[in-house]
Amino acid sequence: MVLKKLSELFDAVVSLFKGRSVEYIEVELRELENVFALIVLGSFIGLPSPPSTISLRLLPYMGRELLVMSRISERLDDMLGEMAGLFDIT
Amino acid sequence: MTMIRFFLGKGGVGKTTSAAAYSVGKALQGKRVLIVSLDPAHNLGDVFEAELGDDPVKIMDNLVAIEVDYDKMIKKHLKELTEKIKDIYGYLKIFNLDRYVDVLKHSPGVEEQASLEKIIEIVKKYGTGKDAFDIIVFDTPPTGLTLRIMALPVISLIWIERLIKLRLAILERRQTISRITGETFEIEIAGKKFKVPITAKEDPIFKELVKLKDEYSWINERLTDPSTTAAIMVINPETLPVLEAYRAVKFLNKIKVPVTHLIVNKIFELEEIPEKLKPKIEEQDRALALAKEKLPGLEMLKIPYLGREPRGLDMLKKVAEYLSSIP
Repeated sequence: MVLKKLSELFDAVVSLFKGRSVEYIEVELRELENVFALIVLGSFIGLPSPPSTISLRLLPYMGRELLVMSRISERLDDMLGEMAGLFDIT
Repeated sequence: MTMIRFFLGKGGVGKTTSAAAYSVGKALQGKRVLIVSLDPAHNLGDVFEAELGDDPVKIMDNLVAIEVDYDKMIKKHLKELTEKIKDIYGYLKIFNLDRYVDVLKHSPGVEEQASLEKIIEIVKKYGTGKDAFDIIVFDTPPTGLTLRIMALPVISLIWIERLIKLRLAILERRQTISRITGETFEIEIAGKKFKVPITAKEDPIFKELVKLKDEYSWINERLTDPSTTAAIMVINPETLPVLEAYRAVKFLNKIKVPVTHLIVNKIFELEEIPEKLKPKIEEQDRALALAKEKLPGLEMLKIPYLGREPRGLDMLKKVAEYLSSIP
């Protein structure tokens, strides 16, 4: 019983550390996905874009990148809050 | 392997006539020749005195001609792209993509893209396999547009390389997170869950990028292979066409398209020069000297002023004699 509890506690600690360790990579991933969407589909918001064939050939597969881009764009007016959240400043 | 010849130059210098005459000359030598007009303002049919269109029309033994239908080409190019988006991934409608897709026909660069697709299609269809032609001759639009078309594979390849690098960085991070936490990536769009790929092998974006890279590398290699491809500049003996040719050749060298010959069309060769024509002849001499100075690497071929428009096969055969040294 005690052993089971201990093992559960150990698992919880491990998963907490795992979560913490990938936190920065997750933010980095999100930003990379955002940049990817912005580069490929930049012409839609007035940025220079790759030749249209490239954009259009990739567009059908970019569901996740589009969502990430739109979520990030929603928070763009609170970049300070975003950074504070990242570094645990409350 | 099929030879590819591009005839380039300023509007009105005689690109179509030179391309047509060269094709007739090669056909007479027994080579199977296809001549394709990519110029939106076609006059290849006028030169051959024949009705031409999107399908090959026989001009003489060993020679067939095509005039590319520009409107049809652009519509086909856009249709293929937009249908793919609309059909396969209907759920993207939630992003109002239809709106974007419809406006694409007005987007800058579509003409170049569609022209390049057409060149690829023609080279693949008529330049490979056992029925391939010996020579494909392209009569091109005026210089500016042609250079943009020819630069497109190089520019696209630069974009594709960068995007592949970025994509690999994304996939690498997804894999790292997945390995550490054991979580699978999912995304919910319009209430439906989709698995997000984490390896290059299963990522459709990466696969599409690699496919694009292969396609553009293929045409780029074909356009820059000096053993099969040559661009031939056509000018008149006047200063402006010489200067434009000089800039075009510099640009083509930069993107590694081989330029081999310079055709100087409509040269006045008079035994006695009338007073009124003297300034014109002086200008011609100056332009020829300038061409020699600015474009020393190109073999110069001179076509004299023939007194009347070189239309029809008989006249073209005469012009072809001046171009016989082009392989």
